Amino acid sequence: MATDAKRKAELEEKLRDWVGADAGSCPAPDVVNGQMIRHWCAVMGDSNPVYQDAEAAKNSIHGGIVAPPAMMNAWTMPPFVPPWDDLAAEATDGEQELHQLFEQYGYTGVVGTDHDMEIRRYLRLGDEITASKVVEAISEEKPTPLGLGYFIDVRWIFRDQNDEEVGSLLFRTMRYQPAQEAMPVSSAAVSSVPTRLPPPKGHDNAWWWEGIDRGELLIQKCSACGVLRHPPRPMCGECQSLDWEPEASAGSGTVYSFTVLHHPQVPGYEYPLVVGLIELDEGTRIVANVVGCEPGELQIGLVVEAHIEKVEGGMKLPFFRPAR
Amino acid sequence: MSTHATNPKIGYDQLSVGQENEAVVVENLTRTQIVQYAGASGDFNPIHHDETFATKAAGYPSVFAHGMLTMGLTGKMLTDWLGDGVLRDFGVRFVSQVWPGDTLTARGTVVSIGEPKDGECAVEIELVTRNQKGRPVVTGSATASLPARV
Repeated sequence: MATDAKRKAELEEKLRDWVGADAGSCPAPDVVNGQMIRHWCAVMGDSNPVYQDAEAAKNSIHGGIVAPPAMMNAWTMPPFVPPWDDLAAEATDGEQELHQLFEQYGYTGVVGTDHDMEIRRYLRLGDEITASKVVEAISEEKPTPLGLGYFIDVRWIFRDQNDEEVGSLLFRTMRYQPAQEAMPVSSAAVSSVPTRLPPPKGHDNAWWWEGIDRGELLIQKCSACGVLRHPPRPMCGECQSLDWEPEASAGSGTVYSFTVLHHPQVPGYEYPLVVGLIELDEGTRIVANVVGCEPGELQIGLVVEAHIEKVEGGMKLPFFRPAR
Repeated sequence: MSTHATNPKIGYDQLSVGQENEAVVVENLTRTQIVQYAGASGDFNPIHHDETFATKAAGYPSVFAHGMLTMGLTGKMLTDWLGDGVLRDFGVRFVSQVWPGDTLTARGTVVSIGEPKDGECAVEIELVTRNQKGRPVVTGSATASLPARV
């Protein structure tokens, strides 16, 4: 599924021409009407009488029935054309062409991420609305939990029968290369949720992870000057010696600093995720998740102790918990 | 009909920064409601109503609600609280999917109240709608133009 660099450059060349481009216009198939408002309010459970009760609406600031503001783009939604219908090919507008371009390059996934709506005035019965769409921006390719993707900002500008702007909507969607092919059945799809990434183990750090696998929290100690360091690396930052030896840590320390991550949520972790910088009693610091307490209870200086635990996929990791 | 006011329901001088309003906007969302929304909005993306497509082709555990359905439900909390005709800007981010069976609670918090201009103040509201597990499904902000005490 990977798009090679040349294909990516080719796609991005084409995308540049799309920024600022007209993405089509959608005249509302129907004037603003009570039937569509009724269906919309029924779903929302919104019984506000200015949307449906002519008498009550007449006595309101609006002087008559208005449409719910969040319903703005429902008026100009293009009619659904079944893909087997001959009309489907003719119905393509600029925005759909742009989406087809992404599909050709392997960005087959699509997800809506943001809606930002500006309301100039509430719509009244009989208003004839037209939406014109402009591609306002296309992001660079970004890594996301769903896969590599581009964010597309399309601005919808809504005008009435007098060509007055009544509102606008910024609709952001993301086109992405699915990180893996969709699972053929639903039960497999549920179990395909990614887990934590295993650590890269190389020449300079594999010994540390092997220690963790045995249940030992090790610290690297310079053989020449005795200074401790973490994470593992080949040279001492103090004396530049390449000689070192592992020393076992007792696993107790204090919270030097911490952060609580809420967003973005990477699969494989539970949120809110507490990431602590722990000062070990031996005198060096280590980054690890702090568990066993509410994020709000965590404080700098809290005494914690290390526990090596197995996580999904059989991998072992050190965690810190408040000391008893 | 209900007892909704048909005017701004609250004045800017009756609000203070930090003030909150919370409402359960849907309980135990059904697939039928999602289909109803597809019809009401004209958004017929099959991922929202075709269980076979959603699970077998797209790999989701089931169909899920349109983001705009959650946005509309969040908007109901706002207009029930602040009144009609007062919203000027309403933006949301779809941070997590909404599934059949979800119960959603929308909360608005006043974050700023502007200087009066022509007798009205721009009131900025921060929004978060959470599911029954407390997980945010929509976050966002809204601006309402409110008169003094009504």
